[in-house]
Amino acid sequence: MGYFAKFAVPHPSPAIYASMIAIVVTVFLIIFGLTYFKKWIYLWSEWITTVDHKKIGTMYLIAALLMLFRGGVDALMMRAQTAVPDNKLLDSQHYNEVFSAHGVIMIIFMAMPYIMAFMNIVVPLQIGARDVAFPRLNAVSFWLFFMGAMLFNISFVIGGSPDAGWTSYFPLADNEFSPSVGTNYYMIAIQIAGIGTLMTGINFITTILRMRAPGMTLMRMPMFTWSAFVTSIIIIFAFPVLTIALLMGTMDRLFETKFFAMTDGGMDMLWANLFWVWGHPEVYILILPAFGIFSEIIPTFSRRNIYGYKSMVISMVVISLYSFFVWTHHFFTMGQTAYVNSIFSITTMVIAVPTGIKIFNWLLTMWKGRIRFTVPMLYSIAFIPLFTIGGVTGVMLAMSAADYQYHNTMFLVAHFHNVIIPGVAFAVLAGSTYYWPKIFGFMLNERIGKWAFWFLTIGFSLAFFPMYITGLDGQARRMYTYSEASGYGLLNFVSFIGAAFMAISFVLIVYTIYYSIRHSPRHVGGDPWDARSLEWATHNPVPEYNFAIIPQVDSREPFWDAKYKRYELFKGDYKKIHMPNNSGVPFIMSALFFVFGFALVFSMWILAVISLIGIFICMAHRSFEIDHGHYISVEEIKETEVKMGGNHK
Amino acid sequence: MKVDHSQPLEYSTEQNRLNILGFWVFLGAEIMLFGTLFTSYFTLVDRTGDGPTGAEIFEIFPVLMETFLLLTSSFVIGLGIHAMRLGKKKAMLTFFVITLLLGLGFLGFEIDEFMVYYHEGATLQTSAFTSMLFTTLGTHGAHVTLGFFWGLFIIIQVAKRGITPATANKSFIFSLYWHFLDVVWIFIFTFIYLEGMTRV
Amino acid sequence: MRELFPAKQVWGFVLSLALTAAALLVYFFNMSRATGMTIFIVTAFIQAFVQLVVFMHARETDDSKSIFATLYYAIFIALITVFGTLLCMIWGWKY
Ligand code: HEM
Ligand SMILES: [Cu+2]
Repeated sequence: MGYFAKFAVPHPSPAIYASMIAIVVTVFLIIFGLTYFKKWIYLWSEWITTVDHKKIGTMYLIAALLMLFRGGVDALMMRAQTAVPDNKLLDSQHYNEVFSAHGVIMIIFMAMPYIMAFMNIVVPLQIGARDVAFPRLNAVSFWLFFMGAMLFNISFVIGGSPDAGWTSYFPLADNEFSPSVGTNYYMIAIQIAGIGTLMTGINFITTILRMRAPGMTLMRMPMFTWSAFVTSIIIIFAFPVLTIALLMGTMDRLFETKFFAMTDGGMDMLWANLFWVWGHPEVYILILPAFGIFSEIIPTFSRRNIYGYKSMVISMVVISLYSFFVWTHHFFTMGQTAYVNSIFSITTMVIAVPTGIKIFNWLLTMWKGRIRFTVPMLYSIAFIPLFTIGGVTGVMLAMSAADYQYHNTMFLVAHFHNVIIPGVAFAVLAGSTYYWPKIFGFMLNERIGKWAFWFLTIGFSLAFFPMYITGLDGQARRMYTYSEASGYGLLNFVSFIGAAFMAISFVLIVYTIYYSIRHSPRHVGGDPWDARSLEWATHNPVPEYNFAIIPQVDSREPFWDAKYKRYELFKGDYKKIHMPNNSGVPFIMSALFFVFGFALVFSMWILAVISLIGIFICMAHRSFEIDHGHYISVEEIKETEVKMGGNHK
Repeated sequence: MKVDHSQPLEYSTEQNRLNILGFWVFLGAEIMLFGTLFTSYFTLVDRTGDGPTGAEIFEIFPVLMETFLLLTSSFVIGLGIHAMRLGKKKAMLTFFVITLLLGLGFLGFEIDEFMVYYHEGATLQTSAFTSMLFTTLGTHGAHVTLGFFWGLFIIIQVAKRGITPATANKSFIFSLYWHFLDVVWIFIFTFIYLEGMTRV
Repeated sequence: MRELFPAKQVWGFVLSLALTAAALLVYFFNMSRATGMTIFIVTAFIQAFVQLVVFMHARETDDSKSIFATLYYAIFIALITVFGTLLCMIWGWKY
């Protein structure tokens, strides 16, 4: 038994035991269900081995929704604990674990894959391509993300959760102060997912640079594709920094190196520095695709082309560079001189300018437009004022002298939720509704969707605006409780109500999906929203090969022109189409990464070496493999097109 | 698979061009990876605790040998690619084999160097400086090791399958990787070793 | 045999050896830190550029614009990271 003692949870609680049982039961049910309905082969051949960008995107979407649920439960627990003074629902240790898990899951395992879902599903369609540049690598990216997420998620039932915050600052994260394996999970799980993200970045840069349909110059690319491109650029330069920081953190914990130690010359703040060199660009990695999604939705439902296309593009490109110049604003209070802080204060305030330009462009797009208040549009409209408030408080935080007051209070927490929820969360929810017919071939119910929207918006406002006030009153972040005398009770209770509203909204979103699966009409046609860009020029759901004929582009809105200006998108005849083959190797290799990560977490070296060798064998296999892909014949294309109610030829 | 004969083989199909561009983008990320290692190294270089400084443990001879071996291997693999473009399979393979042998020599010197440091009391755990030194050198060394096996696989494939669009593409990409490792080494040589040895 | 050793690459190799030797001057002769650093920076960056152009054929393809954009971008951000970090952690450190 002694051997297994290390897998025990160091701070157990009834809730954790209940989760263990729930996990075991769920796994059992899934296995049973798959066997009973004979779906194993379907699962393996249609999903696990797929290299199709649409299916990979769909898997990202499902994973992100699951993680949204997990992170949301964490959030509710925190708000419940702080709802009233001196509450005993969670003790300090569990509170630490919950907010650490919440932050990591929401940023790395919810927002990132949600963004990746849209990049995968939409970008190849928007540029008129058949897939991404490296479909196999794309599958590797997904599975690495997935295995990283799973590794992180088992921490709370095997060995203990990380408890040093999503920023995991040293020396707190060192062995001395965080003795459980939780922080090992943090370091290694994020590492695995991060490698996957880096590959996605490489993949999309190459795809967008070289696989655009004929005639689609860079300055004719749809806004979302631009944002995916710029985000990919930020990814490939920001994620290597995280890779190294996590490597150093892992070594400090596993091998007693001295990078961030308090002795032998170690420098704990170097972690904070490296973390934010990645961390600030990371927030732009999240927000730019969100901007891209809004930039697709707002013109569609205003029936106007986007205002200021060029300035939109320029501001994004500027942000991609600039996001690397400001990271120090996350630790103004660290102890550098006022001179250094001033430099970074100024760069930070400047970065708000390109963001502001975009706000005006969206407003001017709606100006004189004929607006249709659909669910995606409601999210986009609410996004503008709410996000602006978040941006303005960001500029307040950017003033280093004032930040000594705001730093690490609830004011900061209010700021970043105020940009991330109306920015990223609204965008992905709007995007899910907007692209739902593209992915699944039917629409989501609008009426329930609107209820969900209102609950979310009101819930968000109730939950986070009070935090600005408690923050200014001095309530520190990450405090598990407070006294009656502090006077924070009322506003924290309001926040709890807001969180409950947001939970209701999540339930409604799930219900919309369920309701629409059962009741929404199928066969919505290719273009249910009367949209403008190329992804709507093919069928819903999209056939394997995307476009039977590669479209020809000669403007920024070729599909709009095809509909209303008699422009001919699809010239020529069907030809056989070359497609990549499925492969199980990405999944197997990523599963080995999971084992490798697990072995490292518990310092099980033999298992680590064996799984590492397995990973190398997978790579060697890839090197020697000959894979020419396969062709879809003209007959097959014709058949599919007819079946889908082919709108051309 | 459409093959465009006006281009060198390694560029001759669309997938080949994608692979090469993708690899360059990857190298961009690698620059940032090593950039971060250098950032941390420069930050920690004076934080030696009770351990030795760079000037106390670095020795010029092994470092010069490593530099010479790697520079030469980079030159030789360049010749290998040139031979490949001329369609001379045998010459190409010879150059590639020499490249890998030189790489192996480099690794030999590096391992020996690590042993010496170890015996002088500079281990991975001694100080922030030594942790960083071993990690930076080790990351580069791990890249070379990985490159060795990758190169080996490519040699086997070229020997078995000949110079085809696919193998030419892989060989070319491998050569990019190998040259890049040489570039990184130049920076390690200059800014870690020489700078460390001339520091007063 | 000769055709296997193109002049461009041979000269590239000679040049990189020469640049290494130039950097070594700093080791063998006493000079001020500023001079030494200048020589280091100049020789290292020229050598990197030689590798790129002579050996890595970065100029040969029609993607070379994208390639150079990536590289310059990477180098620029890497430098910002190096110097920004030194600014915070060493030069601008109060305590
Ligand atoms: C208008 C532009 C923005 C400015 C000027 C700005 C400024 C700042 C500053 C100065 C801080 C550090 C405050 C402190 O720790 O005391 C901060 C924190 C943060 N911001 Fe922003 N911000 C902006 C936009 C955004 C956006 C768009 C996002 C995300 C999508 C974001 C996410 C965050 C996060 C996650 C944190 C800190 C998290 C933590 O410490 O745990 N910000 N922001
Ligand atoms: Cu920031």
